[in-house]
Amino acid sequence: MILTSSNTLETKEIIEYVGLVTGESLIGANIYKDLFSGVRDVVGGRTSKYEEELQKAREIALKSMEEKAESLGANAIVGLKLSYDNLGGTMGNTILVTAYGTAVKCE
Amino acid sequence: MELKINKERRKYLREAIVCIAIATLIGLVVYQIFLYFKIAIFGWNLGLIFAPLTAGYVETILANRIIGEDIGAISAFILFAYTTFYSFILKNPTLGFNFITIGSIAVILQAAFPTLINYILFTVGLGAVLYLLGIFKKFNRFVYNGIMVHIFKKAPEVNSEQSYEFDEFKSNELINSQDFYFITSTDPIDQRIINLGQFNATVIIDKATIRTPPDPEEIEKETIYHLKKGKDMCLIELANEIKAAGGNGIIDLDIQYSLIGLGGDRYQVSAMGMGIHLS
Repeated sequence: MILTSSNTLETKEIIEYVGLVTGESLIGANIYKDLFSGVRDVVGGRTSKYEEELQKAREIALKSMEEKAESLGANAIVGLKLSYDNLGGTMGNTILVTAYGTAVKCE
Repeated sequence: MELKINKERRKYLREAIVCIAIATLIGLVVYQIFLYFKIAIFGWNLGLIFAPLTAGYVETILANRIIGEDIGAISAFILFAYTTFYSFILKNPTLGFNFITIGSIAVILQAAFPTLINYILFTVGLGAVLYLLGIFKKFNRFVYNGIMVHIFKKAPEVNSEQSYEFDEFKSNELINSQDFYFITSTDPIDQRIINLGQFNATVIIDKATIRTPPDPEEIEKETIYHLKKGKDMCLIELANEIKAAGGNGIIDLDIQYSLIGLGGDRYQVSAMGMGIHLS
């Protein structure tokens, strides 16, 4: 699976637009994790635990998106967009990670 | 007949109250004597033991004489409660209303009203804890399902609560079976495009319901379920708008999720992009 945020693929030619694929994942509804990251924020250290969580969430979103593209018979995703949205929650740490793009067939 | 029973009961009650009152008075007198002569070990007045003991003893003797049976040494409990209250809270305020005092009061109450206190402790207290943890519910369902499956050969009962499992692939098929091009990139290759202008669609979603035993995982599940559903609704709405305008696709599609409403009590999913006609 080729993932790109650009419109075209440099070396390959897009032959068909198969459809829209999306992936979402949510993190931070865990109050203990929230409290922990809050403490780290105050102390001033890097909240590496939180970074890990974000990375995990992004991977889940991307994987879910890729699976859907595969089920549609696509072999690449162009126009990929990733976004992180704050959905409030305890100390504003509920974050929605979304990935979406256009599944295409290419040669 | 009933009248007679009533009369008898009243007589019994009166006699019992007289016994308790006399015994309590004697207990109080004994306690005062102990206090007056300061009969104590390590500053611990022996009246605390002997006053309730005397009261209980006197009451039992009186009750056996007058009524002919035991009535349960209620005056001893009254004395016990009184002496504890007097010596630990009134007379010695340094002890005050602390954990030990509360503990001893609980023990006295437990001794005086064993059934009531045990009921509160085990039925109400334990029940509340089990309810909050949802243990009994799970256990109950487990047993019920076990019986139903193994003995009555019935299918297990499905959880009556709404399931928040989202069928990703079904939703994906639904979106991509609209006869509509959802394209996130800006210009499709080798296609003639007629531009129809900017289109927008918005769907507002309620937040997950607050659960009485807090359950972050369940809330997370419900939230994401509603968000995914909202996104599908939003995309379909957008597609319908563009179809109505004579288009069959959208380019530079953008999906946004945001927190809206007073105090951020709702979510908004909005999708926007350039409506086009591809040929």
